[in-house]
Amino acid sequence: MKPIQEMTQIELAAYVQTRLRRKGIEMILSGGASVAFYSSNQYVSFDLDLVNAYFAKSQDIREIMQLLGFAEKGRYFVHPDTQFFVEFPPGPLAVGKEPVREINEHQLETGKLRVISPTDCVKDRLLGYFYWNDRQSLEQAILVARAHPIEIEELERWAIVEGKQEVFKAVQSRLIAQN
Amino acid sequence: MLEPILGSTNSERVLIFILARKEGYAREIARFFETGLAPIQKQLEKLEFGGVLASREAGRTRLYTFNPRYPFLEELKALLEKALTFYPEEQREALIMNRRRPRRADKPL
Repeated sequence: MKPIQEMTQIELAAYVQTRLRRKGIEMILSGGASVAFYSSNQYVSFDLDLVNAYFAKSQDIREIMQLLGFAEKGRYFVHPDTQFFVEFPPGPLAVGKEPVREINEHQLETGKLRVISPTDCVKDRLLGYFYWNDRQSLEQAILVARAHPIEIEELERWAIVEGKQEVFKAVQSRLIAQN
Repeated sequence: MLEPILGSTNSERVLIFILARKEGYAREIARFFETGLAPIQKQLEKLEFGGVLASREAGRTRLYTFNPRYPFLEELKALLEKALTFYPEEQREALIMNRRRPRRADKPL
């Protein structure tokens, strides 16, 4: 097994997920790290959001993370051998008003990664643009959309549910330009 | 009023305040309800971690609002709106009828 200090962000996510899974705890990778994964690290985020979608107990998570050499620092878990830090946001696993339904699995050298789909990753980033006018979030959404097949019609349906159809229409061409 | 559901009186205070005022910071919420600052701060942090609230810095103050990304936001607001109608009139008025329009810094009155 590759030592933690040599793991990429995504390899670390798969490693932590796999070790938690052995104890019956399932977490789903979301947030900025999923953008890093789907953009082949064109976007770098140092935090790993492993969403506690199945309501695992904090104490159980804490015990396993400590066994892996992580120390709890506020909401985060840090490790002396890596600059990446892990957070376990509570569920539900959602993109805006709707639950995430599709989870993708990828076998990596360090374990099995479970991550939201590219389309949900784009939705997750678009929310930052929709509600906070955050340009960086939009650029991340575009990065993922151009690197992976995404369901544009599904995005439009979802944007309508969010009440953001007009905002979506204004950026839609940038998402499909090279899709 | 919602304490049996929310599990904490201060959680209700924070949510009701933000519903009525759209945003708030720990000290003004604690002052309004004449309660300690630390438990209000704790609830704000807890609700932010849970995705219910979002925060940003305004000068040296951390301002909290509802997180528009929270999946149950519409339903939560509907519940809080109803709860607010059961509040004593005086407190409801004080929550809602605060001055929000601009006021020039050097205005004498």
